[in-house]
Amino acid sequence: MRRLQDPATLEQWREQIRQQQRPEKITVCNGTGCHAYGCEKVTRAFVEELEHQKPGRSIEVKATGCHGFCERGPIVTVYPEGIFYQQVKPEDVSEIVRKTVINKEVLERLLYVDPMTGQRVIHESQVPFYQKQQRLLLGANGLIDPTSIEDYVALGGYGALAKVLYGWSAEEVIAEVKRSGLRGRGGAGFPTGLKWELCRQARSDTKYIICNADEGDPGAYMDRSLLEGNPHSVLEGMIIGAYAIGASRGVIYVRTEYPLAVKNVTRALEQAREYGLLGDRILGADFSFDVEIRRGAGAFVSGEETALIASIEGRKAEPRQRPPYPVQRGLWGKPTVINNVETWANVPLIINQGADWYSRIGTEKSKGTKIFSLVGKIHNTGLVEVPMGITLKEIIYEIGGGIPRGKRFKAVQTGGPSGGCIPAELLNLPIDYERLTEAGSMMGSGGMVVMDEDTCMVDVARYFMDFLRDESCGKCLSCREGTERMFEILSRICAGQGRPSDLELLEELAHAVKETSMCGLGQSAANPVLSTLRYFRKEYEAHILQKRCPAAVCREIVSSPCQHACPIGAEVPVYIALIAHGRFAEALEVVRKDNPLPSVCGRVCHHPCEAKCRAGDGGEPIAIRALKRFLTDHAPSLGAPRRAVFPTGERVAIIGSGPAGLTCAAELAQMGYRPTVFEALPVVGGMLAVGIPEHRLPKKILQADIEAIKALGVTIQTNTALGREITLDGLFAQGYKAVFIATGAHKSVRLNIPNEDAEGVLPAMEFLKAVNLNETVKIGPRVGVIGGGNAAVDAARVARRLPGVESVSMIYRRTRNEMPAFAEEIEAALEEGIAIHYLAAPKRVITEENRVKALECVRMKLGPVESSGRRQPLPIAGSEFTLDLDTLLVAISEQPEIALQDSQIRVSPWGTIVVDPETLATDRPGVFAGGDVVTGPKTVIEAMAAGKIAARSIDQYLRGVPLTPEYALTRPSRYLEPSVLSEDELLTARRPPMPVRSSAERIKDFHEVELGLTEEMAVQEARRCLRCDLEIQKSQAQSAREVIAR
Amino acid sequence: MVTLRINELDVTLEEGTTLLEAAQFLGIEIPTLCYDDGLSPYGACRLCVVEIGKEPKTRLVSACTYPVEEGLVVRTHSTRVLQARKMLVELMVSIAPRSKTLQDLAAQLGVQQVRFETRDEECILCGLCVRICKEQMQSGAIGFAERGYRRRITTPFDRKSEICRTCGACIYICPVCQLRCQGPKPPTAICGSCLQLSPSCAEVYDDLMCYMGPAGVCGTCVKAPNK
Repeated sequence: MRRLQDPATLEQWREQIRQQQRPEKITVCNGTGCHAYGCEKVTRAFVEELEHQKPGRSIEVKATGCHGFCERGPIVTVYPEGIFYQQVKPEDVSEIVRKTVINKEVLERLLYVDPMTGQRVIHESQVPFYQKQQRLLLGANGLIDPTSIEDYVALGGYGALAKVLYGWSAEEVIAEVKRSGLRGRGGAGFPTGLKWELCRQARSDTKYIICNADEGDPGAYMDRSLLEGNPHSVLEGMIIGAYAIGASRGVIYVRTEYPLAVKNVTRALEQAREYGLLGDRILGADFSFDVEIRRGAGAFVSGEETALIASIEGRKAEPRQRPPYPVQRGLWGKPTVINNVETWANVPLIINQGADWYSRIGTEKSKGTKIFSLVGKIHNTGLVEVPMGITLKEIIYEIGGGIPRGKRFKAVQTGGPSGGCIPAELLNLPIDYERLTEAGSMMGSGGMVVMDEDTCMVDVARYFMDFLRDESCGKCLSCREGTERMFEILSRICAGQGRPSDLELLEELAHAVKETSMCGLGQSAANPVLSTLRYFRKEYEAHILQKRCPAAVCREIVSSPCQHACPIGAEVPVYIALIAHGRFAEALEVVRKDNPLPSVCGRVCHHPCEAKCRAGDGGEPIAIRALKRFLTDHAPSLGAPRRAVFPTGERVAIIGSGPAGLTCAAELAQMGYRPTVFEALPVVGGMLAVGIPEHRLPKKILQADIEAIKALGVTIQTNTALGREITLDGLFAQGYKAVFIATGAHKSVRLNIPNEDAEGVLPAMEFLKAVNLNETVKIGPRVGVIGGGNAAVDAARVARRLPGVESVSMIYRRTRNEMPAFAEEIEAALEEGIAIHYLAAPKRVITEENRVKALECVRMKLGPVESSGRRQPLPIAGSEFTLDLDTLLVAISEQPEIALQDSQIRVSPWGTIVVDPETLATDRPGVFAGGDVVTGPKTVIEAMAAGKIAARSIDQYLRGVPLTPEYALTRPSRYLEPSVLSEDELLTARRPPMPVRSSAERIKDFHEVELGLTEEMAVQEARRCLRCDLEIQKSQAQSAREVIAR
Repeated sequence: MVTLRINELDVTLEEGTTLLEAAQFLGIEIPTLCYDDGLSPYGACRLCVVEIGKEPKTRLVSACTYPVEEGLVVRTHSTRVLQARKMLVELMVSIAPRSKTLQDLAAQLGVQQVRFETRDEECILCGLCVRICKEQMQSGAIGFAERGYRRRITTPFDRKSEICRTCGACIYICPVCQLRCQGPKPPTAICGSCLQLSPSCAEVYDDLMCYMGPAGVCGTCVKAPNK
């Protein structure tokens, strides 16, 4: 092929290529991610299908570079229409060719569905993932075949080079790059133009240019995609840079783990040489420059510029202290400019479009765009290119599509292993070099690892320190020894062996490593530790002081995540294993050991255990709650009550017979005390009796649990309320030695809308209470319920069952995804014919003669994401609509209502009692409080946990010992043989659906809706348990053997 | 010639001089472990770190490898420097708790207890042996193998070296493996009995002009960092 001798021939050639190009083509993403999905087969299938089906005109099939949307690969675009298909399989190809290519029909099933609107999207530009991006560098990837220089030239490639070689002096090039504000994309952000200028000024006969493609951060692959997808853009940037500083030789240092990048760059170099764009007298001008490839063996530290130079020179990749900087003394002792792949790729853009254009993008000190690789717990994994200054929130929620599986966003790690973790509170942080550094992280090369609530930040810090202690070159003591010692301390904390002084030591050490290390690796190595300590110190303290891993990750602490996540520490793996072995009575004993209300919890617990179940990680969690219910359903009896060994006889007063009060009473009775429970209402059980409707928790089931508690020696006195029949002083005067207040939160919070006090508007709690107490309630025929929590759904479902009610509708201001009620409850409500108006908020109650006639609502839309990770509902002006109603039930929240005047008990502005969170002691000695009266409305199991803590504190108080909470590593009390599943069983095992009564039948009465698992179902489900407890028992047995062996 | 300011003293020196040499020229003692007059500077032990630059943008660099610069402001014994050195020495003692050299250094800097698990090794990988073998004995029999926490000194392929002349230069120059501390205390405690001569003075004393003799070498005036 001819060599291009001047810009005119380049332009001629470009024209020629453009004319030859067909408008009809099919592009298939052949990036690294899509390769893993099998894009090669898809590409081949297109070639074969086109030959086979013969569309009658020539259609090109182009294997392009990475499109960035790796989550949805392989990605296929059909031109000229630009129809965007995702997750294309070889089987789909025949249909695409037949329908889309030949008949111009759109294949609905392969289109992307916008998860927000549910609409199918035809063009790439309409996909939300791409909408907020500004793809200056990556945009071309999807259009060109990286092995074809013609494709690059057709898009204007090498135009910038021609412009510079014929018309610009080296100084002008440098001035333009300086003016553009381009900064190094490798991480440190040094101004590129300034670096070039310093190198230009250095006096030497030889100078070098290096392209740093030693991308080594876990989870980062943007440089790889540029080199693989558009190698000529990087090369053109390098040639322009070489011209600017006067270099005659260049090196691309690329890691050998990037074979496709090596291949495509090698090819690009050959092509560029062939056309006279590289080598002697480039484009006929008086400038010669050539580039060679050096492959690195993949050490992380090789990305440090002095180490990289050492590696190119054939020495061990170890940094040396700067100065002298590479621009003074670099490769082979000569002045050298090192920039990373992305920086070089920006250069032709700046030359083509001008520094003024470029510097308009971005923030004051950070210009242009930046490519991030968005990975981790995020919907849309992939490469995103965004203007500097975009907020984290926009990247994570609008581009990334938020966190999968409805989990809460926790933190994002930017800048790779030596970057830091940025917490949810800083979601509004605009991303540029300075802001990230201020937040304790760094830009780094652009890795962005998203973490959710199931990520333990101590474990993350430990992971990165493990990486760094291995990847540190080991030359300087602070980095080598510092990372090793930080790893040692973090490992200790993760194993539950942390010492209270560890955090201080860790912090001191981390600062020393940051301060005294020789190169960038060591200086930033402490960032994961320092940033997690800064934002997640509480999590560290929980590991060290309370032996808790809030994310239930650290194996040595949690043993089984279900047991660890249970507020009362129920031995889930043990009773599940017993069920699997068919030993039901024993299993129930294990349940009852920790849980005095097993039949209740088996029905209404919000099961935090299932949320953390490892079987649910990519599958379905074990149906733990249903298994517990199975035990209580199938038990021959509730078992004999256990008696205390040494009855102390001391009397304790417990005010409130809800889950907190009953649990505390049961615990105290088993310790030998004589507890008396005082209940204000005529029935026992608090919220369990009056708040939860019969169809979820039948009264006789609750009664059975209460009878078992009474049998332990608990006295219960109903119709006795604090401030009415009894007072704190009175109780102490009667000889009670301690008091536990657990009166709950029963008072409904007001809506604060006009006419809220009209007749027919009822707090949902009062409505439920009245129905539960068999009082006559007159509602309907048209009932509205405001709220989205369990109380709202309960009220709606109860209303549905009442005679005279014709229709029930719920009004909730967000969407179903955000509704706090249990998913199965919402589903059941819908089945029962309850209408749910999502994205609607009440505005005013419309009355007639002071009676509810209708409710005026306003439509809402989901606005920006709040720090809670949920999108904020915003009213849409002018979208008001009315719902005709006869009764309006309000269930937005509840608060405590307590009479505690002059009792020396401190109450918060929200009406809750103030206690020490670890001991539940109030300000008055001998008085303790817990449950909803302290926390505001929470769950049954959390109230029970409070009851347990109170019982322990009361015991310590009465024995006269200091109130000290005890914390231990979570462990099962016994070992049980695992079940062995057959191959068939492994393949077919599924979580059983809960058998329920049909909706037509169940709305006629108040009988229980869920029927419980059968024995066969329960045993099968229990056999599916992964038995996480065995892992830790095995490792402990192992270490014990090792000790004996020594 | 280059003029710079070290501990508030202006000094003019030849270009190419290191900060360590400059400090030595002024009689300021900076502790070193991996530095030797006759060998190329290496910057591995980090003990000679000094604070350079003007507030608030100062940073720590190793004096043995940093060349003098015109107008540079250097502090050799600031709070920040001494705190860093203390941590470095604590790390060193944790590796080789029985080395008298390290124990003495720790005592001089006022380190009283090692808070890390001790390893009882005899090498802090300062690389003096590697450099003397290659640069002075013209042999190059030993070098570093592996990286990170696995880094160690060995002969090629861990075999008996054919070019080693068993001259003993490596042992001669080793700062750690020769003197064993024979103190009566457990290995993690720093006895410092032979060096505890200086009284505690000011809490924080950045621009050093201590009257007690060799400026600030005792390090006892620097307390643990504020929490």
